[in-house]
Amino acid sequence: MKTYASSGTKGGVGKSTFAVLLALKLARDGKRVLLLDADVECPNDHLLLNQKLNKPISFTYQEFPEIVEEKCKKCGICAKVCRQHAIFHVPNKYPIIFHELCSGCGACKVACPFNAIVMKKEISGEIFVNKFNSTIWLVSGLSKPGIAETGLIVKQVKEYALNLAKEKRVDYLIIDTAPGIHCNVIQALLGADKVYAVTEPTPLGAHDLGILLSLTRKLGIRSEIVLNKAGIGDKSLIENVSKRFNVPITVEIPYDEELFRAYSEGKLAEFADKIKLVIG
Amino acid sequence: MKLVIAGGKGGVGKSMLASSLAILFSKERKIVACDCDVDAPNLGLWLGVTKYDKIVKKVSLSEKAHIINEKACIGKLKPSDCKFGALKVKNGKLWVNPFLCEGCGVCKLICEEGIKIEPVENGEIRVARTRYGFILFSAQLYPGEKGSGKIVEELRHYAEESGEFIILDAAAGIGCPVIASLRGVDHAVMVTEPTLSALSDLKRILKIVTYFKIPYDIVINKYDINERITRRIEEKFKEKVIGKISYSKDVINALVHFKPVIELENNISRKVNQIFKRLKEKLNL
Repeated sequence: MKTYASSGTKGGVGKSTFAVLLALKLARDGKRVLLLDADVECPNDHLLLNQKLNKPISFTYQEFPEIVEEKCKKCGICAKVCRQHAIFHVPNKYPIIFHELCSGCGACKVACPFNAIVMKKEISGEIFVNKFNSTIWLVSGLSKPGIAETGLIVKQVKEYALNLAKEKRVDYLIIDTAPGIHCNVIQALLGADKVYAVTEPTPLGAHDLGILLSLTRKLGIRSEIVLNKAGIGDKSLIENVSKRFNVPITVEIPYDEELFRAYSEGKLAEFADKIKLVIG
Repeated sequence: MKLVIAGGKGGVGKSMLASSLAILFSKERKIVACDCDVDAPNLGLWLGVTKYDKIVKKVSLSEKAHIINEKACIGKLKPSDCKFGALKVKNGKLWVNPFLCEGCGVCKLICEEGIKIEPVENGEIRVARTRYGFILFSAQLYPGEKGSGKIVEELRHYAEESGEFIILDAAAGIGCPVIASLRGVDHAVMVTEPTLSALSDLKRILKIVTYFKIPYDIVINKYDINERITRRIEEKFKEKVIGKISYSKDVINALVHFKPVIELENNISRKVNQIFKRLKEKLNL
């Protein structure tokens, strides 16, 4: 199985469009494909395929510590070891845990000399599986609004997708990441055979492409550039970045207002045949 | 006044509108612009800033674990101890994946003598005076590092010390950096576009905005790309919709020449001016 990620730092450059078009193309070529929507904060791949998410098939969890009052001696060690400053302790009082600051690392549990902390699981997100045609499986993650650390949700959704990919014996795993370059994106990119860095021919596209290529270089993942909206703006901006990082432009998606309209209505599949996706 | 421009989905026109509103407000009062997208900071480019005047601060807000004595860890520390999956065994040797380590210190609590926790530089905060006279604060998270939410907090601290009227441009998504951009603001302008994706993302971010009880208005950008969905948004949000901007390739061409959209002589700049006026009425300014 080959794993390709579609990423792009900047929002709205066409990460999901490319991921969906690539999945459709591979399926047309007779391949079995698992498309993983790893933008768990704002997953949209199902919308581009004009689908409603099925009922959640599984959940992601985050662990939070809980004080067992019968065992707690109010010593405050838990508050001292918490590097997130998520535990507040006043002498002779039970410590208070702030969930919005807690990363669930469990340092407090490890450090407590009285075994007075237990980790309790809470649901942090949902996992959905949809089917498109007979050879595309779509796994989508959806974070619970208010959960700040979405990297851990991506990690669990990806583990689910990897298992399903094995079970369904897929040929390709296509991972569509969130915009940006922080933990939710890093979790999605790690382990990929190749990253398609999607961009547009504008100064913003060029600037953000440089940031993504710095990241993939650091992570040691091979990348290729996908130039979306080709034909407008200024292509030389992207060619300069391509030269600077020695990463080739291998795919171009021509600028087309009709494509945007198809996107807006979730009709990318109907449009897919009209676009020649030349994969270098 | 802290005014945030947000929207959930990327590429809907947040920075385009934030830059325009910043320029228009700056003609009437002293403002500070603050680019809260520290992963992909682009507000500067919309304001013609290609180089920052100086780096205000290199931010070190988190830490990472390093193995300094592997033998001491044998039999004590195992990969499953790390909730973030950063502890690995590679070729029989214990190893910390720096891209996954959160610096929580669990490994050091388990094996004090084998692990060292060291601070890392996560990013930098920069400042520039724009050609419109006002100051722009921006930050860049270093590729491969964590802590974008914490950088946003630090960045806002600098911006909010420099002025009373702050215009914040939020990142895409609804995770930690966006939550850090929304916390404590007075008003939000949500930018969206008539696509199923943008509408879905708008509903998601509004859950956070309403949780924080932030009053908000909505601008529909590229409204004529799908007038059916535009009507759906207008029916759903009624008087919250304070403006619609049409779709135009001119925006991309303006960007290529580092020209803010309000300097274009077309319908777009007129619409943005109308939105500016409506917003001022709503804010009693």
